[in-house]
Amino acid sequence: MNSSPGLATVAAAPVGTAAEQEVVAEVDRVLEAVFDTVADIRADTAAVLERAAAQRRRPVTADLAALRPGLHLRLRTCALASGVGFIAAPGLLADVPAWLEWWQTTAEGGVRPLLPDLDPRRSAYSDYTHWDWFALPRDTGRRAVTGPYVDYLCSDEYGLTLSVPVEAGGRFAGVAAADVYLRHFEAAVLPLLRRLPGPAHLVNARGRVAASTDPARLTGSLTRGPDFAAVLAREDVAVFAELRLVPCRAVPLVLVVSRP
Amino acid sequence: MKQQHTAGGARRGLFAPVDSRARVDAVVRRIGDAIELGLLADGEQLPGESDLAGQLGVSTVTLREALMALRQRGLVTTRRGRGGGSFVSLPDAPGADRLRERLRGWSSEELRDLGDHWAALSGAAARLAAQRTGPGDLDQLRRTVEEFAHTGDVPARARLYGRFHVELAAAAQSARLTREQVALQTDVGALLCLVLGDDACREEVAERQCAVLAAVQDGDEDSARSLAERCVQRSAARLIALRLEL
Repeated sequence: MNSSPGLATVAAAPVGTAAEQEVVAEVDRVLEAVFDTVADIRADTAAVLERAAAQRRRPVTADLAALRPGLHLRLRTCALASGVGFIAAPGLLADVPAWLEWWQTTAEGGVRPLLPDLDPRRSAYSDYTHWDWFALPRDTGRRAVTGPYVDYLCSDEYGLTLSVPVEAGGRFAGVAAADVYLRHFEAAVLPLLRRLPGPAHLVNARGRVAASTDPARLTGSLTRGPDFAAVLAREDVAVFAELRLVPCRAVPLVLVVSRP
Repeated sequence: MKQQHTAGGARRGLFAPVDSRARVDAVVRRIGDAIELGLLADGEQLPGESDLAGQLGVSTVTLREALMALRQRGLVTTRRGRGGGSFVSLPDAPGADRLRERLRGWSSEELRDLGDHWAALSGAAARLAAQRTGPGDLDQLRRTVEEFAHTGDVPARARLYGRFHVELAAAAQSARLTREQVALQTDVGALLCLVLGDDACREEVAERQCAVLAAVQDGDEDSARSLAERCVQRSAARLIALRLEL
């Protein structure tokens, strides 16, 4: 993402309308509820890792089995999450090089574990450390929203992944995360966008549309021009040509509306 | 995945409940033996996890541990996501003879059709990716192209070639195209080992991947599409030529 040319053309606007501010606050709340679930997973995982450390040994995959009842419960109780779990940093566990303790809802309403082939001798997808949902929390120490993207590692779905770093003994141990499929996200936020008088859409920091009431700007397409990352960093409403850009506060999404 | 309908009685016994003692080991032994004995064919898909656990009378956790042990022994591979599952794999890496045998199972017409399907998928994906990607969205593809160019191991090359096309479909922001491409690569993936061992072919594919990536990056939809189609068509043509020599 190149920064300066975008900023030059993005002028500050006084404020968004009250309706726009309400929409971004609601979008924040929708995803904050998922982040609450992710925070619970992080706490459970940290406790499991601490127990192993208290016994002066490295954790193993069997320790992570203790997370399962909690993960199953969270899949049932968090309406938006369709996949949840802990993704271990390679080298964390004593018995395997890499591990995803990952559970997903099934079409029939049950839960099932993800069983990816993580053997580099057989799978071209064994290294998961370059995915944004893993790399961003690892590199920044902060929570991250990845996507919209096609998740061909875990779900084969188009969606968002919300993730936070998990630490053990002061060191990065992996990430706790939840998947939100775009169709579910759309169902949650379209009613909010429809409250606005004109067409509106939500984009991520790269301008990728995550939800839209504008038939000319479909989910998955790019809104080109504005530097959305800069708008998010400034945490303030901006204008770009005929568009008004209203950043969410808690999550890296920007509401884009046409100026009246 | 083609089901083999041989040795029906023995196969039914295979999925009967096992004793509660040492459940994991029993499952590993039973499935492992069936594979070694040829009751389960190479590439055959095992029943779904909950089905298989139910038939064997063990919990899914036990079954999962057994599958992990079988994976470690190289007797089972598990593929990601929807359309995935656990598949029988013969222990040693697929030799050229076995691959030729597998290629013989395809008619040249089927291979031509497979190539057409693949070209349609990858061409459409490349065009959409050119339309829908910005800077920063192509890191994974770039990494794959780089790895492909430097990998000496032929099966790894074939896997990376498949990953290139799957990532191209993901860059198109299409879950459907991605799923189709994943399914297609399970058919074509191993066969590609037969052509990618040839250095000239590998270099040509590497160059074509770079060209596709550059066109996607430039947002040049038309040339991204035709370059991707051409890349696939050339690989399919090589496979067909090889098939006609058998």
